[in-house]
Amino acid sequence: MRYIPNTEEQKKEMLKEIGVSSFDDLIKEGVPQSIRLKGNLNIPEAISETELEEKIYNIAQKNSNFYLMKPLIGAGAYRHYIPEAEKFLLQREEFWTCYTPYQPELSQGTLQSIFEYQSYISRLIKMDAVIPSIYDGASATAEAALMSLRLTHKNKIIVSNLLHPHYRETVKTYLAPHEPEIIELPYKNGLVDIEKLKILIEEDVASVIIQNPNFFGGIEKLAEISEIVHSKGALLIMVIAESISLGILKAPGDIGADIVTGNAQSFGMDLNYGGPYNAYLATKKEYIRQLPGRIIGETTDVDGKRVFVMTLRAREQDIRREKATSNICTNHNLNVIAADIFLSLIGTEGLYQISLLNTKSAHYLENLLLKSKKFEKIFNYPFYNEFLLKSKEDISTINKKLLENNFIPPLKICEFYKEENLKNVLLFAVTEVLSRDNLNKVAKILSE
Amino acid sequence: MKLIFEKSVKGRDGYSLPQDLFDDIKIEECLPEYAISKDKKILSEVSEVDVVRHFTKLSKLNYGLDDGFYPLGSCTMKYNPKINEKLASLNNFTYAHPLAPEETVQGSLEIIYDLNKLLCEITGMDEYTMAPAAGAHGELTGNLIMRKYFVDRGDKRHKMLIPDSAHGTNPASAAMADFQVVEVKSNERGTVDLTELAKLMDEDTVGLMLTNPNTVGLYDEGIKDIEKIVHHKGGLLYYDGANLNASLGIIRPGDAGFDVVHLNLHKTFSTPHGGGGPGAGVIGVKKDLIPYLPTPIVAFDSTNKKYYLLDVGSKSIGMVRAFWANFPVLVKTYVWILSMGPDGLYNASETSIINANYVLAKLKKYYKPAYDRYCGHECTVTGKEYKKYGVKTLDISKRLMDYGMHPPTIYFPHFEPYAEETIMVEPPESESKEMLDKFIEIMIKISNEAKTNPELLTTAPHNTPIRRTNDLVAAKRPILTYDDELKLKDELKYQDKNIDF
Repeated sequence: MRYIPNTEEQKKEMLKEIGVSSFDDLIKEGVPQSIRLKGNLNIPEAISETELEEKIYNIAQKNSNFYLMKPLIGAGAYRHYIPEAEKFLLQREEFWTCYTPYQPELSQGTLQSIFEYQSYISRLIKMDAVIPSIYDGASATAEAALMSLRLTHKNKIIVSNLLHPHYRETVKTYLAPHEPEIIELPYKNGLVDIEKLKILIEEDVASVIIQNPNFFGGIEKLAEISEIVHSKGALLIMVIAESISLGILKAPGDIGADIVTGNAQSFGMDLNYGGPYNAYLATKKEYIRQLPGRIIGETTDVDGKRVFVMTLRAREQDIRREKATSNICTNHNLNVIAADIFLSLIGTEGLYQISLLNTKSAHYLENLLLKSKKFEKIFNYPFYNEFLLKSKEDISTINKKLLENNFIPPLKICEFYKEENLKNVLLFAVTEVLSRDNLNKVAKILSE
Repeated sequence: MKLIFEKSVKGRDGYSLPQDLFDDIKIEECLPEYAISKDKKILSEVSEVDVVRHFTKLSKLNYGLDDGFYPLGSCTMKYNPKINEKLASLNNFTYAHPLAPEETVQGSLEIIYDLNKLLCEITGMDEYTMAPAAGAHGELTGNLIMRKYFVDRGDKRHKMLIPDSAHGTNPASAAMADFQVVEVKSNERGTVDLTELAKLMDEDTVGLMLTNPNTVGLYDEGIKDIEKIVHHKGGLLYYDGANLNASLGIIRPGDAGFDVVHLNLHKTFSTPHGGGGPGAGVIGVKKDLIPYLPTPIVAFDSTNKKYYLLDVGSKSIGMVRAFWANFPVLVKTYVWILSMGPDGLYNASETSIINANYVLAKLKKYYKPAYDRYCGHECTVTGKEYKKYGVKTLDISKRLMDYGMHPPTIYFPHFEPYAEETIMVEPPESESKEMLDKFIEIMIKISNEAKTNPELLTTAPHNTPIRRTNDLVAAKRPILTYDDELKLKDELKYQDKNIDF
């Protein structure tokens, strides 16, 4: 076996050195014969590398040829430009075969890269401390909700129902054992219902969770929301599902967020049928001791050199066990390095430009579709790069047409929202991978 | 080494975007004024060449598995096959949107479905969820499943038994499920004390979370009695799969009576650790617990010959993440199992157990074993005899770096009087006898150095990119971003001339 260097001869030699006559002899004490597996595992016999390659290629062929299919769907997972240099650098074994950087002397590459990423995110969202890696946006939002319960010692949370439905579900799952009261904040005309929030907010609310841009792509009036939330001493948790929007939108820290979580998938991560993505979770300095997960800090070594280490470790599970702020251990560090490389390549101007392009091209497509008279607006709200349109034709027919023309169709919003007026409504997403020609083609297909 | 920010030059760029052909669209007409940031967010301005050199240089400060021996105990740092990476990165997989219509992702669904069947056979379980992103995420999922199972039965159990040797994630995960953690002491053989377990296991107790072999590398030989004690009181048995590498084709947790199992695909199943993830912590359960799995799971419609995402139903604990799985990790796992076959899997566990016992046999004269008995796939020795020379286990591990090896896991597990100053060595099947002999030789050399020249150890490492770090300062006044550093420099005017930027 090519991954197992020791030969049968060597194994025999080693057993002799150990002082046993056979392998069975070695494990008979630990694994009683009565529970040992009789016979072999019933799985397919090993196949060669060539056969394996052919087998997996054939399975992959059962998927559509996604490289050539431009997505008109986002909903928490966005196809963006990923510079080839990033993909190339990520293949360095030094980054992807190593363990969590417990030994700083042998891990400065990983540690410094994570520190740079923390620095980037801190600037983008204007927060003091950034946990670079929770598994994804949903689990990070759930951790933020738990953190708000610990910080306030209250047990009630208000959640916008324009928070990504999977995130909402995950928050409920994580919080269930603590039996908090979770109140859904309804929307009105595509944005959260601010009047309703004024009624719901009370002194006993730990936090209010708002996604921006929201699940419909809408841009919330955060300054106003923040004032209402803080008037009763609650914390504002702001969730970002599309982090590229930070290139043009105001930083959450500048509009009153206390805790920010963000899906970083758009920062150089493949769609990969749903994961691994990554999420940051950030807060203000005064709350850092309640943060879940790992964070990297700067210090010096004995020679006085600037170095990076895992820090504020007294919150973590391997030290605090059941009193830890979270159980998180392995996270998505390689994705952090991907995002650090991505943001370095894209830089100040690149991020702004992509953000700008996404906004403009989404509005361009909306205009075209409205002009075709086959679609109509159901709400009137400002949006970033995702928008809702009601189709006059059956949406299944539309989606079929799009698939035939190599576009991944937009989301049928009724899969997540059951309201009567959301029937036959599509959630479109547009990024820079769709050119003006592509969008013209989409409009043409849909106007016929 | 310089930070990327310190290499930034105004006006440089490292990206390639299509020309903005949307001049007819005015941004002010798209977005309301209240939403737009007044200033551009400042990242860095560097060219592609700068970035490639920067990260290549950074990578060289890391020590990876392909660089050499990496015997971290309970982490299973086994070789990551290259074919796995290639097949997981096929365009049809990597560009697949998670909400694309099911008919367009039949290949991805087939892999998830098939892998589920393979893992069930390997571990003796009935159904898996692929959702959990890491071991601890799996533990939380498993705890929530057990919680919901009892809540549904109107059974108000609220305690979880966890051996003192367990990983910190076990008690932390149980606490997140709002269980009260009760520690079970180990006996003088390093395994669960059955008398104590029988005393603690009552009808208020959810069950026991057990790693087997445990984190000292020892099999719980009383596993059959453990199973009886827990099940007799109506509890459930949870298997932490961190150490499954000692069990492939030898013993299946399902057969031993475990009800819930988590597997670390990034340990036993050869997928890379990525400097701390992504991995996958999939959860397998027995039949009675299937209705509680996170939703959805992948099912096969045999009439229409189609795979689809199946809603688990009203008893499900709900979702534990957005979307379905860390998909490429599943592909790599699938590819690895097919490369190995039943004989290969058995060979992997057999070899890793022989490797660990070989290291133990050769080292025990120099480093007293925590427990003097045969081990599973990892062995725990101690450095306590060297304390009298002023040398700690930490120093021994740092000295190993000078010889070009990654240190083993140290100070874990820790329970006196047996397991203190511990050194836990896990030499997986991908390590050759020659590599082990070299490691043993170096460890013996270090033991001599400890006696004759302890300072060599207490000041180690000497040959690494950086030396020992000042962790206390880092925690006392945290510098968590480059801007923190700039601020501090401003405040202190940074008098320390030795700081090398």
